[in-house]
Amino acid sequence: MRTGDFKQTYGELVTLVDSPPVWLWSALLVAGLIVAPFVLNSYVLSFLIIILITVVGALGLNILTGYTGLISLGHVGFLVTGAYAYAILVSKYQMHPLVGFLGAGLVPALASLIVGAPSLRLKGLYLAITTLAFSFIINTVILEARWLTNGARGISVQRPEIFGISFDSDAAFTYLCLGFAVLTLFATLNIRRSRVGRAFVAIRDNDTAARVMGINLHAYKLFAFVTSAFITGLAGALYGIYLSFVSVEGFPFLLSIEALAILIVGGLGSALGAVLGTILIVLLPEATRLVFSLFSAQIDAVFTTGAQELKSMLYGLVIILFLRFQPRGLVGAWHDLRRMWVNWPLRY
Amino acid sequence: MQYFMQLLISGLAIGAIYGLIAMGFAVIYKSTGLVNFAQGEMTMITAYIAWTISTTVSGNVFVVALGAILAAVVLGLIIERVVMRPMLGEPVFATVMVTIGLAVILRSSINFIWDAYPHGLDVGFGRSIVRIGPIGVRTGQIAVIVTLLVLLAVIWAFFRYSKIGVAMRAVAADDRTALLMGISATRVHALAWAASSVIAGIGGVFFALSYDLSPAMFQLGLKAFPATILGGLDAVLGSGLGGLLIGITENLAGGYIGSGMKEVAGFAMIIVVLMVRPFGIFGERDIERV
Repeated sequence: MRTGDFKQTYGELVTLVDSPPVWLWSALLVAGLIVAPFVLNSYVLSFLIIILITVVGALGLNILTGYTGLISLGHVGFLVTGAYAYAILVSKYQMHPLVGFLGAGLVPALASLIVGAPSLRLKGLYLAITTLAFSFIINTVILEARWLTNGARGISVQRPEIFGISFDSDAAFTYLCLGFAVLTLFATLNIRRSRVGRAFVAIRDNDTAARVMGINLHAYKLFAFVTSAFITGLAGALYGIYLSFVSVEGFPFLLSIEALAILIVGGLGSALGAVLGTILIVLLPEATRLVFSLFSAQIDAVFTTGAQELKSMLYGLVIILFLRFQPRGLVGAWHDLRRMWVNWPLRY
Repeated sequence: MQYFMQLLISGLAIGAIYGLIAMGFAVIYKSTGLVNFAQGEMTMITAYIAWTISTTVSGNVFVVALGAILAAVVLGLIIERVVMRPMLGEPVFATVMVTIGLAVILRSSINFIWDAYPHGLDVGFGRSIVRIGPIGVRTGQIAVIVTLLVLLAVIWAFFRYSKIGVAMRAVAADDRTALLMGISATRVHALAWAASSVIAGIGGVFFALSYDLSPAMFQLGLKAFPATILGGLDAVLGSGLGGLLIGITENLAGGYIGSGMKEVAGFAMIIVVLMVRPFGIFGERDIERV
């Protein structure tokens, strides 16, 4: 009788997926996503695009907060630098879009060195507030550097054309986002199972012990910052292209909180959790609107007038309820569900 | 020189408001080990309730003040009982995230309960101008500086001499030992939330007196962060003084460098200070033993 999931060699512990059916299901999912742009109407497709872009950003934050345990409240700062780096390189200086994407990763990565270096001595809440300070400072720098960023007027961005393939239509742009999302997913999964990823998790679990084991805390914390900022910057560039206009107002502070909400709802420190959390948080306002519109048109009217407020109230409520009743997030719930028959009558 | 003095006085006045809110942060941190990210929102709600009292019940200063303090106590107690107490014993990260969730909910609820337009809080006091030499100062600005100084003294005495104050320090230092000594941690937490809500609420009401009431007022909480970090998260008095420092820095930077600098002067300052002293100027150094 199978009583659990036992790993017998070290190789089994670090494999990408632990059972062959997962490959099959993942392949089916990717195939479904490739077909999706042909089938879906543009309204549903816009949600798919936002989910794919948000997945990239959430995976970026997951490296820093989920794996390494450094709480960042300033990730919107990296998002906005990435978007501006792309917009300035491509729209203003007519560079190749691929150069733009490279810049969108590298500029936030450099910025993360500036914010990461003073943060090495800080822990926990002090660090969270320093990153918060960073995101406000970035906004002011962007608004003040008018010669480069057009200040408050923002920069408009065209959908890119790479190697003769135009990503102008929504369907084509979905493929671009899908490509980035899949690449990021593989990158973070591989980081997690490598030496670097193990060092990150060791720092998160107990930094003193990690240091005793010979892990260079400063180097690995900075590496986590740089990687996380690089990926988040790419998400920022994609989001800027999607909005077709990059400005400071397009990246409100709420996005930082949304990103943390995604990680918590999904399950901290898990790539699958980041994906599940993104799907839930992005679709949550829409799902609630649908449910309420079934009941009465009056509530529907409240949604149209106070849509933004209701959306953020829902974030808040969902964060609190998840932390209270399902601290391990959707991934935890999924694990319990998967093992329900094995563990019955115990819950887990 | 006159320009400098003018900037200094208005910096002190806004700094006193930051200081009051920063003390709210520190009171909660000192007894529960949490940073309450909903502090700015709680401040804003207290100020809005004060405004509602002044327009519907009576515009008398004492009625409004008493009503606002009572409302702040009730708000603090409700939040502690309903939202925070179930999280007792959970990791700090989870509990702090709960306060962030709470902040988002409170912030959006303003637009539902009240509206999105700015309002002036008028209690027949605070907007008239007193001249000290060549400098014009609003009475509300003087009042808030005096209030901060009085509260600093009261809170110092409270933590130093009163039994409850000592109990709060005991819970902060080591909650398990405090429990064994017969101190009710939940009661101390409830008291801390109520006290913090009142102190920050006073700051909010003074802000509404001198400036205006608007749904953007929660940003006061973000501005008070640098103050409490500068003073040290666990130093109540230090946070109050940190507020004054931030207020002055911000105003001088805004007056001499540019208005863009005014917004971020405080944040830039804490990054520099934290590099030198990671636990704030007055904060207690956290010593780790392996």
